[in-house]
Amino acid sequence: MDLIRTMSEQSPPSGQTAMIGIGEYRVGSFPMMTIGLGSCIGLTFYDDHLKVGAMVHIMLPDSAGRKDRPGKYADTAIPLLIKELTAMGCKNRSLVAKMAGGASMFEYFGANLNIGERNAGKIRELLKENNIPLIKEEVGGKMGRSVTFLPGNGGKVTIRRADGTTGEL
Amino acid sequence: MKLSTVQSDAIQELGNIGAAHAATTLSQMLGSTVQMSVPAIKSIDISELGTYMGEEAAAMVAFELQGEIQHGGYIIFYISKESAIRLTNTMLGLTDMNRAMNEMDESALLEVGNIMVSAFLDATAELLGFIMLPSPPALSLDMAHAAMASLIAQMGEDIDDVLLFSTELVCEEHKIDSDIIMLPETATLARIVELMENMMKGI
Repeated sequence: MDLIRTMSEQSPPSGQTAMIGIGEYRVGSFPMMTIGLGSCIGLTFYDDHLKVGAMVHIMLPDSAGRKDRPGKYADTAIPLLIKELTAMGCKNRSLVAKMAGGASMFEYFGANLNIGERNAGKIRELLKENNIPLIKEEVGGKMGRSVTFLPGNGGKVTIRRADGTTGEL
Repeated sequence: MKLSTVQSDAIQELGNIGAAHAATTLSQMLGSTVQMSVPAIKSIDISELGTYMGEEAAAMVAFELQGEIQHGGYIIFYISKESAIRLTNTMLGLTDMNRAMNEMDESALLEVGNIMVSAFLDATAELLGFIMLPSPPALSLDMAHAAMASLIAQMGEDIDDVLLFSTELVCEEHKIDSDIIMLPETATLARIVELMENMMKGI
């Protein structure tokens, strides 16, 4: 089967990490990273049989019908990543997901408008609908996070928090 | 919203006046000279926000713009962590630079942010007759990108480009470098541009 060629499958130069900005996504086996997640969420999918994965930097829960920037919204990003990974030969049932982010950075504004929480809720709901297990997550709180995803190393996800501490999902 | 050269000049002028007043108040609080840059207007695709702001620790005091336009966007007093500590130290006569930020820094930042942003908005209101009131301040001491992206996510419109309109305020003597950044919603921007254009035409 021919692969659908898209921007997302282009590898960065050898050995480098692909930086994924807000609303962007990548698919492959190279290292990927999202920097400075606040209310945004870094979501990863990984297939342990093929050692490939995908990462997306989601900003909002709902696209409200917009199609032009699918990586930006939970409801468009998840079907898209599944489609791209399926095109690379992944089976839906062999995919596992992890997510990090979804913090509330400003307490005063956060009270009535917790976008981070809504992002995480929508992602959980959509993963369940698509029967993809969410095996690890670190969401919420009020701290920024940077996340690295290594599909070539067992789908390892590492988190660096704003206070300098690190963790692994 | 795409801006013509004339419109972007008009906004720059407004920024000049607002920032000059903010710089004066900062200068009074520090008892030292404060220089300001020419205001910069950048239209940034959200996917590229990371090239302007990264993981660096910064303090951001954010205010929602309210008043005539109820949810008009945000105005932010931005200062790096090192500068923020120097700012508190200067104001309180302390010298220890190698300390963690504490509640004293938080109060100082909220207060300084409040005073400077109020001075900025007072000046622009006087010039344009367009009232933008700051909401109570909200403070983030965290990764700059995380805080800024969160503000963009909670803007009223679902946008792919943000107009960041910033003026740098520098106090050489105490090595304090800060910025006032405005993140207007389209309605706010359109109103500012309209009023500035009328004023320049002498209406």
